Amino acid sequence: MRSIDHLFEKSARSLARHTSRRSLLAALGKVLTGAALIPLLPIDRSFRAQAAEPAAGKKAEANPATDDPNSCDYWKYCAIDGFLCSCCGGTSNSCPPGTAPSPITWIGTCHNPTDKRDYIVSYNDCCGKVSCSNCVCNRNEREKPMYRPSRNNDLNWCMANADSNYHCSVSVILGVAEK
Amino acid sequence: MKTSLIGVTLLSLAMGARSLAAPPLPAEHLTAEKLPPNNAHRIYVLDEAFINEIDARVHLFDGDTYRRLGQIDAGFSPGFNLSPDGKTSVIGTTYFSRGSRGTRTDVVEFTDNTTLSTSHEIVLPPKRAMTLPTYFNVAYSADSRFVYVSYVTPAASFGVLDPAKYSVIGEIDTAGCVLVIPSGPNRVSSLCESGRLLTVTLGAEGHEASRAMSDAFFDPDKDPIFVQGVPITDGYAFLSFLGEVHEVDFSGAGPVFHQPWSLVSAAEKGQWRPGGQQVGAIHRHLGKLFVPMHRGGEGSHKDGGTEIWVFDMKTHQRVARWPVTTQKLAPVVAVQVSQDDAPILFAATDRSDVAVFDALTGHLRHVEKQLGQTPWLMLNP
Repeated sequence: MRSIDHLFEKSARSLARHTSRRSLLAALGKVLTGAALIPLLPIDRSFRAQAAEPAAGKKAEANPATDDPNSCDYWKYCAIDGFLCSCCGGTSNSCPPGTAPSPITWIGTCHNPTDKRDYIVSYNDCCGKVSCSNCVCNRNEREKPMYRPSRNNDLNWCMANADSNYHCSVSVILGVAEK
Repeated sequence: MKTSLIGVTLLSLAMGARSLAAPPLPAEHLTAEKLPPNNAHRIYVLDEAFINEIDARVHLFDGDTYRRLGQIDAGFSPGFNLSPDGKTSVIGTTYFSRGSRGTRTDVVEFTDNTTLSTSHEIVLPPKRAMTLPTYFNVAYSADSRFVYVSYVTPAASFGVLDPAKYSVIGEIDTAGCVLVIPSGPNRVSSLCESGRLLTVTLGAEGHEASRAMSDAFFDPDKDPIFVQGVPITDGYAFLSFLGEVHEVDFSGAGPVFHQPWSLVSAAEKGQWRPGGQQVGAIHRHLGKLFVPMHRGGEGSHKDGGTEIWVFDMKTHQRVARWPVTTQKLAPVVAVQVSQDDAPILFAATDRSDVAVFDALTGHLRHVEKQLGQTPWLMLNP
């Protein structure tokens, strides 16, 4: 859930030394297509905004139960534990005004019931203001404890931001997961 | 108008009669209450205050009188623990210079549990792990010589502090392994994503003397363990998402893993699961384990328990099931038990209430409504 500045560069180097990124990437490699979209999670995903646009022409009829980005039941939110930015002035993949996205994050795989595809999504926290406190959402599909940080939603992913206060969370499509 | 006049007259007469009958109340003196002596049924309830997260606090609550005894402020996304003698609360937390924004200061604060005055602090590097509270975010060595603080930046390490000199001794890299599980006077173990434990042994001055990696004792892919351990006589028990109990003996130079046992039958496995934030409590003398259990599937590991199951730690048999939702309680997300001979089980719900049970019978004695917003960790000396 929380911050990146000069700290981040140092943190990223340290992380690269000490976390098992290899195993994460191996796992990702088994399920992902469109590998060009995959950043080196959970290191630096500050460029994910350019890579995160959903594929054009894939929209189908909205399912009221699962296609409402203000609902915790929205399919993309399958491992969000926090406040939905879409209820806080942002959208499902953009931060509210005046907050800053966390460049480091956790990831998950969510099933879109509309197009029947599984998607790899990254959950970023939006940082720099106190808790939004609107639309609390606690879903944990395939979420893992803190010893597997890339899959953990309990950490404040604003931790490396200049302002590391946690405000809310978004879900950003990275690509399609193979069955 | 006439009716009003009569009413006023009667009221004046009544007031006059009362003033003749009783002397006026004496003037009061404003004082600050002193904390009553500790007892076995006192509990420290950490409210993460998730909806205004910079303002966490610890509530002291008496399980006999059901009184709230006082409060310790806890800042942002805190870790919390008690000293081995129970006399000091230690909180690892973060403050921002302008309240919700500004310069970040990570700090460990020490509060005297006999006065609730915060007496000292140690300023940390801005690396403290901001995550949910467990026994292992901040912790004392068994002899109180050191305090350990978990760091995640997201690179993982921990800080070694000197609580007598109120100073930072140093930082020890943990190669991606997280949290600080203290054992003995100078050992710190951390959980690794491979399912192993890294144990760092410190020298007399608090610097790393050696380290060792254990074998894997659980499978983080198939059945991860909750990071919230449950204290047992010689270490901690870790529960898995599917209900396996991994007892780890930390009394020796390295961790020793007991044969895991299960909270659930073959038929129940995958159907009934432990869940919540503080997923178990053990009365060590009676050998009883209390676990909030719920029906649920994959991804339900943070769901609170609709029942509390009680187990005998020696026979590994379930000895009781106490439904809580039938008592109009919301699902239970945290449990703690007092360690005396007339034990109380405290159960915090996902609606912020704390229920007080007789831990021997399961009889519900009291429900303290709204003990904070998000009471996720409960400790007792």
